[in-house]
Amino acid sequence: MDKAFIQRRRRDLILAAFLAAIAAAVPFFVKDVYVQNIMVLTLMYAALSQSWNILSGYCGQISLGHALYFGLGAYTTAILFTKFGVLPWFGMLAGGLISAVIAMALGYPCFRLGGHYFVIATIVIAEITLLLFQNWDFAGAALGIDIPVRRDSWLTFQFTRSKLPYFYFALALACVAWFVTWWLEDSKWGYWWRAVKDNPLAAESLGVDVFNSKMGAAAVSAFLVAIGGSFYAQFVSYIDPESVMGFQFSLLMALPAVLGGIGTLWGPMLGAVILIPLTELTRSYIGGSGRGVDLIVYGGLIIAISLARPQGLVSLFSRKPKPAAQPAREAVAS
Amino acid sequence: MTAETIIQSLASGLLMGLLYGLIAVGLALIFGLMDVVNFAHGEFLMIAMYATFFLFAYFALDPLLSAPIVAAGLFVFGAVVYLLIVRFAVRAKANTGMVQIFSTFGLAVLMRGVAQYFFTPDYRSIPHSYLGGKTISIAGIYLPQPQLVGALIAIAAFAGLYFFIHRTDFGRALEATREDAGAVALVGIDKNKVFALGWGLGAALVGLAGAVMAIFFYVFPDVGASFATIAYVTVALGGFGSVFGAFAGGIVVGLVEAMTTLILPPSLKTVGIYGVYLLVVFVRPRGLFGSI
Amino acid sequence: MTITRRNVLLGATAAAALGPIAARAQTSEVKIGVIYPFSGASAQIGVDAQRAFETAAEIINGKYDFDLPLARTEGLPGLGGAKIKLVFADHQADPQKGRAEAERLITQEKVAAVIGSYQSAVAVTASQICERYQIPYLSADNSSPSLHRRGLKYYFRAAPHDEMFSQAMFDFFDAMKKKGTKIDTLALFHEDTIFGTDSSNAQLKLAQERGYKVVADIKYRANSPSLSAEVQQLKAANADVLMPSSYTTDGILLVKTMAELGYKPNAIVAQDAGFSEKALYDAVGDKLEGVISRGSFSLDLAAKRPMVGKINDMFKAKSGKDFNDYSSRQFMGLIVMADAINRAKSTDGEKIRDALAATDMPGDQTIMPWKRVKFDENGQNNDADPVLLQYVGGKFVTIFPTQAAVAEASWPMK
Repeated sequence: MDKAFIQRRRRDLILAAFLAAIAAAVPFFVKDVYVQNIMVLTLMYAALSQSWNILSGYCGQISLGHALYFGLGAYTTAILFTKFGVLPWFGMLAGGLISAVIAMALGYPCFRLGGHYFVIATIVIAEITLLLFQNWDFAGAALGIDIPVRRDSWLTFQFTRSKLPYFYFALALACVAWFVTWWLEDSKWGYWWRAVKDNPLAAESLGVDVFNSKMGAAAVSAFLVAIGGSFYAQFVSYIDPESVMGFQFSLLMALPAVLGGIGTLWGPMLGAVILIPLTELTRSYIGGSGRGVDLIVYGGLIIAISLARPQGLVSLFSRKPKPAAQPAREAVAS
Repeated sequence: MTAETIIQSLASGLLMGLLYGLIAVGLALIFGLMDVVNFAHGEFLMIAMYATFFLFAYFALDPLLSAPIVAAGLFVFGAVVYLLIVRFAVRAKANTGMVQIFSTFGLAVLMRGVAQYFFTPDYRSIPHSYLGGKTISIAGIYLPQPQLVGALIAIAAFAGLYFFIHRTDFGRALEATREDAGAVALVGIDKNKVFALGWGLGAALVGLAGAVMAIFFYVFPDVGASFATIAYVTVALGGFGSVFGAFAGGIVVGLVEAMTTLILPPSLKTVGIYGVYLLVVFVRPRGLFGSI
Repeated sequence: MTITRRNVLLGATAAAALGPIAARAQTSEVKIGVIYPFSGASAQIGVDAQRAFETAAEIINGKYDFDLPLARTEGLPGLGGAKIKLVFADHQADPQKGRAEAERLITQEKVAAVIGSYQSAVAVTASQICERYQIPYLSADNSSPSLHRRGLKYYFRAAPHDEMFSQAMFDFFDAMKKKGTKIDTLALFHEDTIFGTDSSNAQLKLAQERGYKVVADIKYRANSPSLSAEVQQLKAANADVLMPSSYTTDGILLVKTMAELGYKPNAIVAQDAGFSEKALYDAVGDKLEGVISRGSFSLDLAAKRPMVGKINDMFKAKSGKDFNDYSSRQFMGLIVMADAINRAKSTDGEKIRDALAATDMPGDQTIMPWKRVKFDENGQNNDADPVLLQYVGGKFVTIFPTQAAVAEASWPMK
């Protein structure tokens, strides 16, 4: 193992701890609930994108159907809570496990598909599931599930006004997703994945178990995304098929990683910190005009960034991995 | 369920399927040429429909007459999109695949915003045209004229495209560039020019589809979304890179859609299309006629 | 006066520039949050809603000789002539965004009340947030009956919900049957959303209770690229009445496809939505002579109540469209809310809530054919009588109930 690599990994870990500590302190200075809401969403999408990045970035299996796992997580928690009184914490775990199992079951036929065939298969599988939920009366069909709000409690993970519990949960989830990625980067799987991504045939001949390493990536990725979905159900306290399983979620998980730097440790975080506040602020402050200006700004920026920085925005910091997160977050807070 | 119901469903499905094929073929052409999936394909269809609508509203031009104008306009538009955006996306040094997906996705969002800005989000449609609302009835089976003519245009477009690719100089240049972009540069073919013309041609075909669609469908800034997913599935089902595959894929999609409603509730009819796609690629990972 | 986002951003500066008189008053303005879809597939509704709310605000803030609450005075006399100021927010039909926008309006813009939202799914989350902050939420145009049954204290709806609407349709069928018209079988055609599901559930239940046979119950995917297979099934069922619950997009396609497949039902009785939109009649009006739609508004009321015509003209000047079922309910939503704030003499959420609960507005002081506006313990106004309208000669006439009708129903449709 070369020294520079070990050094870089240690530096990443220290930087992450430092950033997490700063992030944890932010709510003490930013009291506005709207801004806190944006921070919660930013951290949630950072976590989701980081999880998506494991399968699509590191292992190279581009999925545009991760909304499936997000929705399964949300629905599992909501159904278990409203129909069977199961606390959301257990629901969360159940949702994660179910999603991981389903990811492997779907991976079995899908991982034989190449390139765009795989991408489209992920899109249509998520769409099929959405349609089934839309027509499944037990799960509320189109009416969705309204999670009744009772008292503030950590047990039911419900808080009427305070955003802080959600903020810290989302922060923790983002940290976990980051740490899992960090840890996997230097594991046997991490090397396998990179080998599979670069050249599956060569990897196979070098003794890499290509198929199982894809399955592993899918399971880890789906598990974490489902936890995010469970969180979302509790956070919004109402879900319906379109709002948790729609194609837009699959895109919103992929976009931060792509903009920040796909297949990189810091890319999803950086991408989410820029993209999510941008999405929310353009809608809130110029979307009310009804003229579509927010779409023009948003679409134009995506084109500009993806053309100007194909390696992702992390490449701006490739020499000195100084966090870009800070200035952006402060801009939101002010 | 009577025999008449089944025959009518098959006939409607076949006509719609040919139109799906026409919508999708531009996508297939561009992909085959340069491995790029245009995620703004639905929005290309949207502006083609708007163009047809406005030519009708301001110049009282029937969609059938404006179809060539719209196709020509879209040709220019497609070439410009290539020169301004896609050219740089394919040049990207890293993650070319993702850059292509997301730059065209950004273009889709941008186009929807621009359409809403200039055309307002109102739903528009062409109230009367040569073919609008007319229908031919044979032994109780109804064949709507707009779809019927659309299907004929689709067949003609496919035939023309086949002839064009295999019998003309430009078509041969297109094929050669597709097979080996590096080598054609050596024989003096400008790769960028060929790609720009390819994008123009692909967009012109969507333009044709949009003009036909505008006869019987409504137009609004988000109209492309309903057709885009179907177009992607159509192309993948037929096999990426195969123009004939898009044609066959369209017919299969149209028929499956119509047949699904005979078995499942209509709200699940796209499940039939998606299910058939999965079945086909699980058995044939390169689609029905794919080579790549 | 148009309230744009820029004005909102400029905040105090804009407020001072817009109303020099208001600036002198004690509480110069009362902000009301309005959340609608301003982008995405239903942006058109949001843009029209904006004009309807602006028309209502203009009447409240200015001096007009209408027999409508707050019309004859400038601003809200109960608050020293304070003006109503609208703050619009875009929820893009996403429940999470609706929730975030409601919260932003309450905490940043300090709105006294929130009105929304077109999509029922968004109303669920936005009203829940309002409940948490004890700010009244008024559904101007959400028609899902489940909304007022959640035991919320701060939820109100002045307009009818889908069960009331469907009931009116079946009352009409019963009345027609008594006159000897053959109505035995019904075909339901509804989209797979909350709106479509609620509507068809209510219709199925009523059909069973009153002995009508539902020969087709077709649920389709909203914004379908093609409806020919669905229409094929409707045609095969050949019911006496076709009852669509569809928005504009699918409504246009449905009517066009029916014509193409040679299907001409005896009667169409529509659950409003697309069937009260100008866009639909611009597109396929010639094929819809005699179509019947439920509604809560009718322009022919202008003959009895001249102010209805004048207010409609004000709206038309802004939007280029006549009031329809949606824009009229949106207009009334703001009037009802402003009236309550005026009586509460306060911008405090709880006081406004109590004032809303005590609302008793006679029907002839509205632009609607309603008996009155009075909320039950769930916040639902049960006196908002729906009407049935028939599209005759390019405009709508009221045909039911009898006391509001100006014409006899023509059956079957042409």
